[in-house]
Amino acid sequence: MKKRRSFLKKGALALTVPAIFGAGNANAQLCRAQGNRGSLTEPDSPPVRSYYEPVFLPNKLLPVDPANLVPPADPNRHQRFGDFQPQKYYEQHITEGFWNYHTDLSNIPSNPGGGTGSVAWMFSGSDQGPTTPGPTLVAKYGEPVFVRRYNDLPTAENVLMPVGYPAITTHLHNAHTASESDGYPMDFAMSGQFWDHHYGMLLARNDPRETLSSLWYHDHMIDFTATNVYAGLSGMAIFYDEYDTGDENDGQGLALPGNSQFGSDGNGNPNGYDISLILHDVRFDPNGTPTYNVFDTDGHLGDLITVNRTVEPFMNVERRRYRFRIYDGGPSRFYEIALSDGKSFHILTNDGNMLQNPVEATSVILGPANRQDVIIDFSSYSAGDTVEFVNLMEQVNGQGPTGRRLEGPDRMKVMQFRIKELAGTDNSMPMNEGVHLRDLPGINLSEVVKEREFVFDHDMGLWTVNGKFMDPTIVSADPKQGTAEIWNFKNAGTSWAHPCHVHFEEFQVIEWNGRKPTGVLNSRKDVATLGPNDHAKVFYRFDDFVGRFIIHCHNNVHEDNAMMLRWDITPG
Amino acid sequence: MKNRRKFIAALATTVPFLATAATNTKKKQEVFKSCPSNVTGPMSDRFGQVIVTDQDKKKSWFYEELIHDKLVLVSFTSIRGEKHYPIIDNLVKVQDMLEDRLGKDVTMLTITTNPTKDSPEDLKKLADSKGAKWQFITGEPDDIRNLLLAFGIKGSISGLSWVGNEKTGRWMTKASRQHPLFIAEAVARLSTGKDHKPFLVDLRSV
Repeated sequence: MKKRRSFLKKGALALTVPAIFGAGNANAQLCRAQGNRGSLTEPDSPPVRSYYEPVFLPNKLLPVDPANLVPPADPNRHQRFGDFQPQKYYEQHITEGFWNYHTDLSNIPSNPGGGTGSVAWMFSGSDQGPTTPGPTLVAKYGEPVFVRRYNDLPTAENVLMPVGYPAITTHLHNAHTASESDGYPMDFAMSGQFWDHHYGMLLARNDPRETLSSLWYHDHMIDFTATNVYAGLSGMAIFYDEYDTGDENDGQGLALPGNSQFGSDGNGNPNGYDISLILHDVRFDPNGTPTYNVFDTDGHLGDLITVNRTVEPFMNVERRRYRFRIYDGGPSRFYEIALSDGKSFHILTNDGNMLQNPVEATSVILGPANRQDVIIDFSSYSAGDTVEFVNLMEQVNGQGPTGRRLEGPDRMKVMQFRIKELAGTDNSMPMNEGVHLRDLPGINLSEVVKEREFVFDHDMGLWTVNGKFMDPTIVSADPKQGTAEIWNFKNAGTSWAHPCHVHFEEFQVIEWNGRKPTGVLNSRKDVATLGPNDHAKVFYRFDDFVGRFIIHCHNNVHEDNAMMLRWDITPG
Repeated sequence: MKNRRKFIAALATTVPFLATAATNTKKKQEVFKSCPSNVTGPMSDRFGQVIVTDQDKKKSWFYEELIHDKLVLVSFTSIRGEKHYPIIDNLVKVQDMLEDRLGKDVTMLTITTNPTKDSPEDLKKLADSKGAKWQFITGEPDDIRNLLLAFGIKGSISGLSWVGNEKTGRWMTKASRQHPLFIAEAVARLSTGKDHKPFLVDLRSV
């Protein structure tokens, strides 16, 4: 990045000097306040050592005794609470504190963290104290969950975090959750308040083909989603079932690389082989505090990639198969993640949902909020070898990728794997494209009762859906419970991308730009990452709950700048 | 690097516009203008130290006198733009909702997107015809363009308003033609102290 920036500066000088001074007015100079910067002129983060910091791996969220919940859970606030009586209860406190993104940032003498870290908003709930990402919610289908989340952030007058707004609403992306537990943008808790979330852990339509695997929870505060998530409010959630159990030794189902323990020893050695990695690109000011230009409504780009909020970390891996759940946590960066040696791996999921068969590939492409699970087999490496995850996707502003691929030393550093000897036996299933993972629910077009269109565009300085700005009182679509519809997502832009996200239900692609989906696109998804002028025609069913949900761009900066609509499921 | 060069070349096309902006003004400037401000706040280094003029020809230091330490609602239009995409009528409704807070702890500003054409007299005519009691801002075209750049405003018509609390450094956008209730609500939410209200209408699930 450094190279590019210095090149840009030189380029800008060479180009602008003749134009501005050419008129013979040698003293003419555009006055531009020092802090008035755009995507190409943001200052670099302070220097950090790459692959120095061990990756942070969050522990599991630990259950609490429901008898200790004061006040107790109120069944009347939730749809179908009795049908899905919670079996596990959790409490999370959201607090402001200091987080070690990187020792070199934490140790900057002017860092307000005094050596402990950079300012961050974090979730509690594990034995690791407050963390970002928050503790991993590990849940099982058929075991309903109740989570009470307290907003213990200081009020706006007192927060240290320079961006974001200390009101919170947490979306469990994209669980099949009733509206009142979904993290609807208006369902926020101010400092000192809490919000209750009931996750029924039910399969949509009670259909095992609708199982979700890799989810994440993140803030969804109206107008402040991008900045609140940027401040630290994201965490992973994993749903297991009897087919995908998280235990490679139990003789059941798929025998994917497992993890009973989560977390790590703190030195880069994970406790298991099923590892979640969430990517957030962050830019730090000279004090080591995350910085963010709220006035750039195109999007935010960080110059450092963090993995689980650790800058360019390393992780020790054994010579065996691993399952990595890779999340693009946004707010605006798109990734093409590859191994630095170009070795192939197998993609298991799209948006955290199992494919019918694994797809062998040399990279995964992710837009904000996309998730893909991959199986990487490190057995062909020797102990002592290293290999990196690198990002090949070029992006120069928040609007979306340029469409060009980074090559050689221009590839962005993501993380390093340090290969160790195998410590036990690898009992996970060998992966190939013939393995059967999970069937897709059929698309029965004769069930379709309505077709709708959602056009993502830019108008009057803000981002729009169907020409409209977000207004929580306007219901823009009202599908009936128990029906199926075709929705068309269209990107009207010629140079920007929009990861279009619809809450509550997964869709299946019927056609993408007129073509039938193949490969990883032949899947259930919840974020349609629309490139310039893309048109995705998708199939939806709406079941199990009624209420209000949203459709929005998951470039959260676009979302916060009006690119969101409310839609409701109405009683059938 | 080939690809980047192409991109830089594309950037070059924006230069003539900047050059025009600079050379259109007769004002002689320092080679390096540091734009120091007498006051500091969360966003003070974003706004150039410029003097602006309102519809009553009152001159103010933009950041120091109009933004610093205040809760502001800043919108953008021009005499011509207002004919094509009117925003003032809607903002007058917001003004009415703010009642006695306007001019005290809440500052409403409309900055012209056409500083080369829009004179204070023109802006006064527009404001008076709509019943707008807040300040309409123009000034040296170069200075106003700087402010527009700082707010990320492009083009002569903009449907975007910034709501900001420069005590806390929290800023957000609302569409200028959004239902006035939600613009007033943004002001109430970002307010601090006794004027803070999390919402004007509680839309939360029961």
